[in-house]
Amino acid sequence: MAYKPQYGPGSSTIAANRRKYMDPASKLEKVRDVTDEDLVLILGHRAPGSAYKTAHPPLAEQQEPACPIRKLVTPTDGAKAGDRIRYIQFADSMYNAPCQPYLRSYLEAYKYRGIDPGTLSGRQILECRERDLEKYSKDLVNTVLFDPALTAVRGCTVHGHSLRLAEDGMMFDMLQRCVLDKKSGIVKYVKDQVGVPLDREVKVGKPMDEKWLKAHSGIFHSLVGVAFRDDAEYVEYVQRVHSLRTKYGFMPKE
Amino acid sequence: MTEAKFPQARIVTERLLNPETVERLLNQIITVEGIRRIILNGPRLPSTIPYGPARNVTNPHSMRGMIKVGDQEMELAVHVGTILLELESRDVIPSLKAACDTVFTEFTYRVQEGRYMKTEPTLSDYAKYGPDADKSIIGMSDPKSKTGPVILQGIK
Repeated sequence: MAYKPQYGPGSSTIAANRRKYMDPASKLEKVRDVTDEDLVLILGHRAPGSAYKTAHPPLAEQQEPACPIRKLVTPTDGAKAGDRIRYIQFADSMYNAPCQPYLRSYLEAYKYRGIDPGTLSGRQILECRERDLEKYSKDLVNTVLFDPALTAVRGCTVHGHSLRLAEDGMMFDMLQRCVLDKKSGIVKYVKDQVGVPLDREVKVGKPMDEKWLKAHSGIFHSLVGVAFRDDAEYVEYVQRVHSLRTKYGFMPKE
Repeated sequence: MTEAKFPQARIVTERLLNPETVERLLNQIITVEGIRRIILNGPRLPSTIPYGPARNVTNPHSMRGMIKVGDQEMELAVHVGTILLELESRDVIPSLKAACDTVFTEFTYRVQEGRYMKTEPTLSDYAKYGPDADKSIIGMSDPKSKTGPVILQGIK
């Protein structure tokens, strides 16, 4: 029987969401339309419309050593063109944000090529060639993985993941890169991801409502969502991993 | 530094507070008799970006507003999430709760009793601030800060 990956244990909606987000075969639902130009503005790596800066000449123009691995692996568009490595970093609130740092790294590793994800407790950074980065970022911002209020693109000063939300429901941000327009109810980026003010505001849409967030959440939370202890299958799995890790040095036998 | 004989309380809200809400709350609180000191706690909101690629760029932030409490104007330097209070006696707490009830109508809050301010300076305090530091504010605020505490005229 062919191996079929399960992506994760659990019988709760959180576990199902995590599996859905990680599975490269399941297409993530698109919920907003942030344009390429808007995204380039938020990233702040280059001016919109300007050429990509390069770290080396395009692969077609340089002599490649005879290497069997290079023959096996098709380079990504960015690698082919010799783009610089750039990054996008996300901070996700633990108040039912759809995606969470560890989950991000897993799903990116399953879905994308030529990436270097870095995972921390409250933020996650994705590094890759600039051209590829813009393509992947569009996916990460325009699909269900992003919520304008609870997920934020933050290159630095990311603190906010575990803090209480502001009165208007926005995640804390020391640099207030995005603000909620009270009249229209739309979240607008007024600074790029490192805090440099933008020439024009970038709209990323309305924050999702509570019901939607609960249905699409990627994190357990006993107060505002599904409690981890309520998912017996998940608990059993985590306990098993913990137990085996602890006994590992003693040659565990099941 | 606070004296250990005075009881302390803190107000913890479900959400981080807007400056307008803090202003309304403090204006309610100062009408309560028997509060000695108040500290507004929360993550800091600096006026310029302190580090990173955009270091020294000004940092406009709608949560760092001027508020007027009683006759005093003050600038908030934090996004207020917790309010620590030093009280004259525990009898103040019911009126404190009544004051909070009028302000926090859209989300929940808790008033907790405990010990939230330092009563003794630590060795690090001595190393940081030296032997001549103002002992009355060690453990509450930075004694080296140029802006001292705001004195509110109470109702006594």
